Amino acid sequence: MVHFTTEEKAAVASLWAKVNVEVVGGESLARLLIVYPWTQRFFDSFGNLCSESAIMGNPKVKAHGSKVLNSFGNAIKHMDDLKGTFADLSELHCDKLHVDPENFRLLGNMILIVLATHFSKEFTPQMQAAWQKLTNAVANALAHKYH
Amino acid sequence: MLSAQERAHIAQVWDLIAGHEASFGAELLLRLFTVYPSTKVYFRHLGDQPDEVQLLSHGQRMLQAVGVAVQYMDNLHAVLSPLADLHAQVLRVDPTNFPLVIQCFQVVLAAHLQGEYTVEMQAAWDKFLTGVAVVLTEKYR
Repeated sequence: MVHFTTEEKAAVASLWAKVNVEVVGGESLARLLIVYPWTQRFFDSFGNLCSESAIMGNPKVKAHGSKVLNSFGNAIKHMDDLKGTFADLSELHCDKLHVDPENFRLLGNMILIVLATHFSKEFTPQMQAAWQKLTNAVANALAHKYH
Repeated sequence: MLSAQERAHIAQVWDLIAGHEASFGAELLLRLFTVYPSTKVYFRHLGDQPDEVQLLSHGQRMLQAVGVAVQYMDNLHAVLSPLADLHAQVLRVDPTNFPLVIQCFQVVLAAHLQGEYTVEMQAAWDKFLTGVAVVLTEKYR
């Protein structure tokens, strides 16, 4: 089980308080779909994904990105029990959505890059480390119920 | 492999780094060691807690090599051959570490360029640096 130090929890929480979930979530998912185009395979029902501007402006992408990042908000409230928190979502992603868990890691990396564009110098190496630990832990929790 | 637009994005971002290889390189290494401490095993010559001077010196060397790669992005095999030999015979960095360096590189660029770090730039640099990593590991076996 992942253990977050008091400093790591504080770092994550302090940045989270300033995050515009809709903007960061939407942009992170859009960047994932553009930088790693094969990830579009899960979003056939999302409409127009045929260009960078189409993806960045796609309302379904924004909505889903926002939804995904909101679940991080939940993760931050339960950092000591991510596996429990994400148990149902893990089953969903395995049994219904059939998403390769590698995609969770890639999206986590995108979230960090978008956070860096928004927070710049405030996104210190220590902040990056705490957030990378969180996104990795969420990715692992989401993969936990795969069989 | 790289489109004309991708090359343009790569060159455009490099123009912002050129002249600042040391500070960008130092930040890259500091982030790498902080976020992925296991990567320090490949930098034992910098000591347990590398100081700023060491990070600047080694960081500059790494970023200068990236600059060469940018200049000759159509001919990476030839221009990176000595570094490929070095990585295969001497450094033997496990290939799984290159994506970690690339992620930290992206964060450095994103933190510095902020809103100007477009997704097109990010995609081009991801593709380019992944290509560099492939060349650096291609003589491994």
